[in-house]
Amino acid sequence: MAYDSHAGAAHGHDAHDDHKPHGWRRWVFATNHKDIGTMYLLFAGLMFFIGGMMAMIIRAELFKPGLQFVDPQFFNSMTTMHALFMIFGAVMPAWTGLANWQIPLQVGAPDMALPRLNNFSFWILPFAFTILFSTIFVPGGGPAGGWTLYPPLVLQGSESFPMVIFAIHLMGASSILGAINVIVTIMNMRAPGMTLLRMPLFVWSWLITAYLLIAVMPVLAGAVTMLLTDHFFGTTFFTAAGGGDPVMFQHIFWFFGHPEVYILILPAFGIVSEIIPAFARKPIFGYEAMVYAIASIAFLSFIVWAHHMFTVGMPLAGQLFFMLSTMLIAIPTGVKVFNWTATMWKSSMTFEPPMLFALSFLFLFTIGGFSGLMLAIVPADFQYHDTYFVVAHFHYVLVPGAVFSIMAGVYYWLPKWTSKMYDLKLATIHFWLSTIFVNVLFFPQHFLGLAGMPRRIPDYATQFTDWNMVSSIGAFGFGLSQLLFPYIIWKCVKSGVPAPSRAWEGAHGLEWELPSPLPYHTWEDPPSAELIARGAAH
Amino acid sequence: MAANPINALSAAEQAERRRRVKRTALLLGLVAGSFYVGFIILTYFRSQH
Repeated sequence: MAYDSHAGAAHGHDAHDDHKPHGWRRWVFATNHKDIGTMYLLFAGLMFFIGGMMAMIIRAELFKPGLQFVDPQFFNSMTTMHALFMIFGAVMPAWTGLANWQIPLQVGAPDMALPRLNNFSFWILPFAFTILFSTIFVPGGGPAGGWTLYPPLVLQGSESFPMVIFAIHLMGASSILGAINVIVTIMNMRAPGMTLLRMPLFVWSWLITAYLLIAVMPVLAGAVTMLLTDHFFGTTFFTAAGGGDPVMFQHIFWFFGHPEVYILILPAFGIVSEIIPAFARKPIFGYEAMVYAIASIAFLSFIVWAHHMFTVGMPLAGQLFFMLSTMLIAIPTGVKVFNWTATMWKSSMTFEPPMLFALSFLFLFTIGGFSGLMLAIVPADFQYHDTYFVVAHFHYVLVPGAVFSIMAGVYYWLPKWTSKMYDLKLATIHFWLSTIFVNVLFFPQHFLGLAGMPRRIPDYATQFTDWNMVSSIGAFGFGLSQLLFPYIIWKCVKSGVPAPSRAWEGAHGLEWELPSPLPYHTWEDPPSAELIARGAAH
Repeated sequence: MAANPINALSAAEQAERRRRVKRTALLLGLVAGSFYVGFIILTYFRSQH
């Protein structure tokens, strides 16, 4: 059975008092968590396709050696902007969108704790990304020094520099406000009886992610503020001529940057921990261990930052510390992979699109984890640093890791959000095309990196041609197959068949106890202890 | 029966929850602000060496 078409809808909730505004006011002045969640997800989708177009330009240029389509400055601008759009525009807003939709539903809260702040933190984003995108058109072009913004290179950039810094400040403010809202909601708005250790793992993963955000986004903001004052106000925080230290910027950046990686991936752990039990029809194996593993990963993410900069020349003791602390992360990550596998052991699995994407995550994210372990080894990293091996590593973590689990989450909850079932066959095709092409795209980049091809260059030596061609073909295939995703969602909203309130027979959690279509306002009266106990299937 | 009015919060409980929401939000905002200022101060003193 593809999905549970016989489950009864829990009717009788307050569908009659859906006082929702209409027209543009509903969206511009939105305070409803579902509307804001939808806006975040649509925005993330738009950024995903803009960032994806930039990736297509990069891969078209790299299809063969020599300069084909763009000049090197524009190429470097594309690599920089692609990263900024995908990280801050696509993945992070997609997680915030999912958090907005799901956290109040899953903890039995009527809405996010601070709805107006929620509206504000969303509407900052379109302005930030309009500013960032418009830098392409200023004299000298957009930022081209890489998303890491290392001085002194970034200080020698085009006239777009202050616009980029302003845009990053806005993105940071949006993320911090969103994180405050998530923590305040989870800590104060849970229904009576929804204890911390009864919360769904998606909520847990987001709670920990939000703490990470509050700790590190201000650090990025501080770093880019100092870049700004170095550039315009004569300070020398990172200018060696005035007593500053450019390597200090790298330390500060990666003190933000490494936890940022976990900000992008921890909610994925939460989503996969929701989906695998639902389609394995078994409670998650080791619920508490999963919570402690996420918390351990979050803690460890603060003490590994310098593994991104082994080659700057740090003391041996520092290299050893950061190498070993990085390797420690494999332990809680291993606990999670083991528990997901143990959940599936001797279960009655079915393979609907959310489960397919979750399983793909499990295999391919693990490949990204293993290449991460290779990069953690100091002497090996001296060889791999700044090569395509690193590009392959983090794309395995972020595309089949973060992006696939966002798609898994959307495919899992879409029937709840729309009360309609999407085209399962088309979604399965979307899954297979994505999984095949993502490997064609990124796996050859391991070989290119090991052979010594450096990253962030528009041209390369001819011995790298074959694998670059394969990688570019994979990129075009992956890019085209993603067009199916918005089409499937649009088709579902327009003409999907009605879905029952519990769309998947193995799904547990408070959101599935609500009727379909979902009332505009939910859990205005908190759920009963009985419902909470039934929802907490672990 | 998705909702349970018996489980609904009283007016006093709701007021207390509003206070907790405000307090938690302000505290977290303060933490974020401290990290922002703290790292700038830290870098300033580091660049004096």
